Amino acid sequence: MAAETRILFRNIDEPGLASIRTYRRLGGYEAVKKAYQEMEPEQVLHELEESGLRGRGGAGFSMGKKASFLPRGDMDKYLCCNADESEPGAFKDRELMQKNPHQLIEGIIIAARAAGANRCFIFIRGEYDLQGDILDAAVEEAYGAGYLGTDVLGTGQQVKLVVHRGAGAYICGEETALLDSLEGKRGNPRLKPPFPAVQGLYGGPTLINNVETLSNAPHIISSGAEWFKSFGTEQSPGTKVVSVSGDVQRPGNYEVELGVPTKLLINDLAGGPPKGHKVKGFFPGGSSSPVLTGDEGMKLPYSFEAMQEAGSMLGSGSIIVFDETTSVVDLALRTARFYHHESCGKCTPCREGTNWTVKMLERLTRGEATPMDIEVIASVQENIIGHCLCVLGDSMAMPIGAMVKKYRSEFDDKLISQSYSAAAKAA
Amino acid sequence: MSQPIRNAVTLNIDGREVTAPEGTMLVDAAKHGDIEIPVFCYEPKLGEPVGACRMCLVEIEGIPKLQTACSTPIRDGMTVYTQTDRVKGAQNAVVEFLLINHPLDCPVCDKGGECPLQDIAMGWGPGKSRFTDPKRHFQKPLPLSPLVAIDRERCILCYRCVRFSQEISEDEQLVLHERGDRSFVGTFDDRPYIAPFHGNITELCPVGALTSYTYRFRARPWDIEDAGSVCTLCPSQCNVKFTVRDERALRVLARDNEDVDDGWLCDKGRYSFQMLASEERITEPMVRAGDGTLAPVSWEEAISKVAAGLRDAGTASAVLAGGGTSNEEGWLLQRLLREGLSSPNIDSSASGARADLVRELSSPALGSRMRELDYADAILVLDTEPLNEMPILDLRIRKAVRRTGAQLLVASEHPSSLDGGAAEAVRFAPGEAAELIGALAAALGAPGYEDDGPHAEKAKAIAELLRTGPDPVIVWGERLFRTPGAVEALLACAKALGIDKRLGPGLLEVPESANGRGLREVGCLPGAGPGLAPTQTGAAASGIRDGMVNGEIKALLLSEADPVRTHPGSEAWRKALASTFVVSIAMFDDPSTAYANVVLPAESHAEKEGTVTHPDGRLQRVRPNVPRPGQIRPTCQVLTDLAATLGQTWDLPDQPAVLAAMTDDVDFYAGISDETIGGQGVRWQELASGRSWGPAVGGRTDNQGDPPPASAGSGLLLGTYRDLWASEVTERNPALRFLKRGQMLEIAPKDAETMGLENGDGVRVSVNGTSVEARVAIRTRMEAGVGFLAEGLAENNGNALVNGAGTRIEVEKTAPAAEFEAAGMGQKATVLSLEGEAAAR
Repeated sequence: MAAETRILFRNIDEPGLASIRTYRRLGGYEAVKKAYQEMEPEQVLHELEESGLRGRGGAGFSMGKKASFLPRGDMDKYLCCNADESEPGAFKDRELMQKNPHQLIEGIIIAARAAGANRCFIFIRGEYDLQGDILDAAVEEAYGAGYLGTDVLGTGQQVKLVVHRGAGAYICGEETALLDSLEGKRGNPRLKPPFPAVQGLYGGPTLINNVETLSNAPHIISSGAEWFKSFGTEQSPGTKVVSVSGDVQRPGNYEVELGVPTKLLINDLAGGPPKGHKVKGFFPGGSSSPVLTGDEGMKLPYSFEAMQEAGSMLGSGSIIVFDETTSVVDLALRTARFYHHESCGKCTPCREGTNWTVKMLERLTRGEATPMDIEVIASVQENIIGHCLCVLGDSMAMPIGAMVKKYRSEFDDKLISQSYSAAAKAA
Repeated sequence: MSQPIRNAVTLNIDGREVTAPEGTMLVDAAKHGDIEIPVFCYEPKLGEPVGACRMCLVEIEGIPKLQTACSTPIRDGMTVYTQTDRVKGAQNAVVEFLLINHPLDCPVCDKGGECPLQDIAMGWGPGKSRFTDPKRHFQKPLPLSPLVAIDRERCILCYRCVRFSQEISEDEQLVLHERGDRSFVGTFDDRPYIAPFHGNITELCPVGALTSYTYRFRARPWDIEDAGSVCTLCPSQCNVKFTVRDERALRVLARDNEDVDDGWLCDKGRYSFQMLASEERITEPMVRAGDGTLAPVSWEEAISKVAAGLRDAGTASAVLAGGGTSNEEGWLLQRLLREGLSSPNIDSSASGARADLVRELSSPALGSRMRELDYADAILVLDTEPLNEMPILDLRIRKAVRRTGAQLLVASEHPSSLDGGAAEAVRFAPGEAAELIGALAAALGAPGYEDDGPHAEKAKAIAELLRTGPDPVIVWGERLFRTPGAVEALLACAKALGIDKRLGPGLLEVPESANGRGLREVGCLPGAGPGLAPTQTGAAASGIRDGMVNGEIKALLLSEADPVRTHPGSEAWRKALASTFVVSIAMFDDPSTAYANVVLPAESHAEKEGTVTHPDGRLQRVRPNVPRPGQIRPTCQVLTDLAATLGQTWDLPDQPAVLAAMTDDVDFYAGISDETIGGQGVRWQELASGRSWGPAVGGRTDNQGDPPPASAGSGLLLGTYRDLWASEVTERNPALRFLKRGQMLEIAPKDAETMGLENGDGVRVSVNGTSVEARVAIRTRMEAGVGFLAEGLAENNGNALVNGAGTRIEVEKTAPAAEFEAAGMGQKATVLSLEGEAAAR
């Protein structure tokens, strides 16, 4: 497809890409050789920092900068690949791991060099059973080929990699909860600071990166930061694998340069809404991003900065489209229920706020809410935002808050007075 | 690592300049400026803040988001706002959130009136709720343990109790089940939460979710009074306060003192208030009539009877002071004996502690403060089990290992609950303490010690770790005195480590009785008078016992002591007590009062006025909280009256007078008064009198312990240990009775195999015809060839078999485990007692 710019997806449909033989035949594991045999760790780190690669997991923080926060010195350092892709709407990491596991492993080995990490983990969500099996096999191959182990490529460097399967909690995708879970504890977010870069897994310095972020590393090392920056925008360099789902004709993952028009993603690549329907709105970055209406969102370029400017976020890069057949109140309830179900319960605003919001929205969908309830729904979202221990509470409050604000009339239509008048009309 | 020096940091909170030590969290620093920031989950005793409740959000200049004050350390020049609209909005929001699922049952809730949630809702809440939906519901209240009820609807999920269980007591039984607003506190599989410190969770709970069955619906905060005292049930001497309603103690709470207990209490101390008002208390003096029964008499008659008995015995009198005896009482007892009767026979423990060694060990340079454990590089626990003998010390050691990474080393006869967290845990056979510590002294290069014996390897491993940092603390049990040569070797180790040359770290003794240290220092030790001054050597406990049997000692005064139960050789003690004139000052009938000619009622630690000395030298005040029941008189007064009857006029009308006279007599207590001790106590080593400490010159005294092996049979070597619950306290307090345990013979798996024994089998354990019944418990971390029994049980007491070191036992199987199972006395009986092992992970 012409509009796509494939870097991570370059050979994605090559049969047998998951095997080390095919991956190497297509030029794989050359970057790792370069990073370990021709470059010093500082150079690798510099290259990653220079590329401006921003985290693809949701926060969009510079990957190289994050790696540079790890203290220098001789101690056990950890690298965790966050493969707990649980955000509704996101399924890009699944495809990357399933079809090209070695690209990720190579990225991990390179990032380990940059961060000085010697123990690495892939924390993959338990439901990704097939992908977990594929990774297990790929990791074994990489050990066998000498890319992993106590002596990487004969350099004397140690990089060990373990694939760990999560037990099915959305919260474990939050980086500190991931660490607790990995340590065998209840997966609850930790207080920050200390940040994982200083005190992470088992109290050691830890770099945590998303699957897609790490998968970019081999390409940056082989072709250089300048090459990488030639894609995308100034503040959002590179390409992005975008999961498009919802009311579109061709849902799926599409790799595009950051900054392409959102319209291109939704209408051209994903085929737009079913014939005769129009885009009522969409989540630009997974279910936790504030919704944009079709009118305001379609014309925006798909980049970190543009989405932020529009009051939303690029997040994990997952677009969920809804057309005019979707009730926003139902959508709000569905969204709130997810976060209520997944709230870990550690901090008060998220635990109680998600529960309260669900109860109010349920009342609203039953036609039992009063006008004050809508004010309370909006106010509760405001009381959650910025008051929680981690971002899960905000992840519900931001989209719900945006829905109430942008589609207020739909909420008003569900009020008790409306259902009375509807009943009166019918009678 | 030494105690860190913390600089002063100045910041601005709500326009006020506040100065606090660096590293202080904002919430604590605010208190320096009289600013209160509300908190629920924050509790510094529990370690690192978790920032879960979000109640303490504040605005900090330069940081866009509101920050939790509980987890933000102060910085110089920081500007903080706790009263802005934004902060108030957040506080209102959190209180509103917390209350949406909290039942409004304050009028029937035990916490009502002393509830942080009530206070904070009033002070920082919006005053009304917009929540109109149904609240969440749980079945309630449910027993979390036989002592604690849980009401999950009231729970605000602050995690304090779970953190306590996971990170303080490390019993790891409490967990959070489910997630989100469905979360609830519980145990695995709803098993009862049975652990020695679990009562603390009722005090930690900021709402009425965790309440004690012993206090539920007994009183409201507006009809109670709180008053402080010190618990004298064990050497921990925890600071407590009694909740008193209508002159009855209804509850025991911790009175935080970082130098003593860190604000925790063990369940024994917490739930033992029931015995204070027990019907079983001895409340009047009694004299044994001709028919052998005890009959109440007037004080005057009782005192004249006691005086007559003691006068008849004269220099052949003896005194045994038990752990509940205060310093004042101990000092009066030794004065009564030494001055009034010219007898030197006084002792306060069963260990046979040698006066010259005690004097040397009391040197301020060698001693360690409790607080020193927090900064120790290594902690060696030497032949003592803190969990059983000084429970709060167990928590303090765990804290040091968990929070500051101290290396923990354990060397003991009996498996320890600390083994699990130890960098090195070694065992030695009963009676081999001197060899092991000698080997350690050799490994540390102490002059005169050489060893290549069986302990050399273990000793080397310990020595190496002890030297990892400059500040080691050695926690040792008074029990070491029972093995000749062990304490000398310990002193050699301390010197080789240079402990006497550094401020701070040092030796911390776990005495065998609650006020063991104080009693020795005021003169209840053979060969040492007040201030450990050398004096005429008399008989120690075992000598007194033997003297009574062979007629050399004709009268014995027991002060809160029950040697039949707590001292080795129960049968010998029975014989001794039966053959002489015995006076017992006791709270309850016990196996020793059964032989007393006169019984005088004793005050409890909730009634007594006096002082006690903590094992680290801290003098603390025991204070009257409730009136003395019945005819009970202050023991100090009774002893003064007794002295008067014996012709000694002391002119000591009250406790302050006795304390003043005592501190005049004990040179290193000079100048200490009730006021200097105050509410938190004072270490004599830190006062002028203590700093001028010079070792008293005195001759070497002979070891007074039990003689070496009487018999060397072929059976297992007998070891005994004290168990936390093997005491009268467990039986006298209904709340604790479920913890009463049976005797267990603990053996190594190898021995169990050779002897054909399995866990839970019934056995008869005998020595020279005396036997006790026990159940087999196989323990993995034990030396082979040794069998352990608990001391101090009401029945089948291990002390009955102790006959000097090197006693060997015969074991005979009486019933297979299956028979007990069938009778409903299966694993449960052993599970309770093995909790120590479980706690060691």
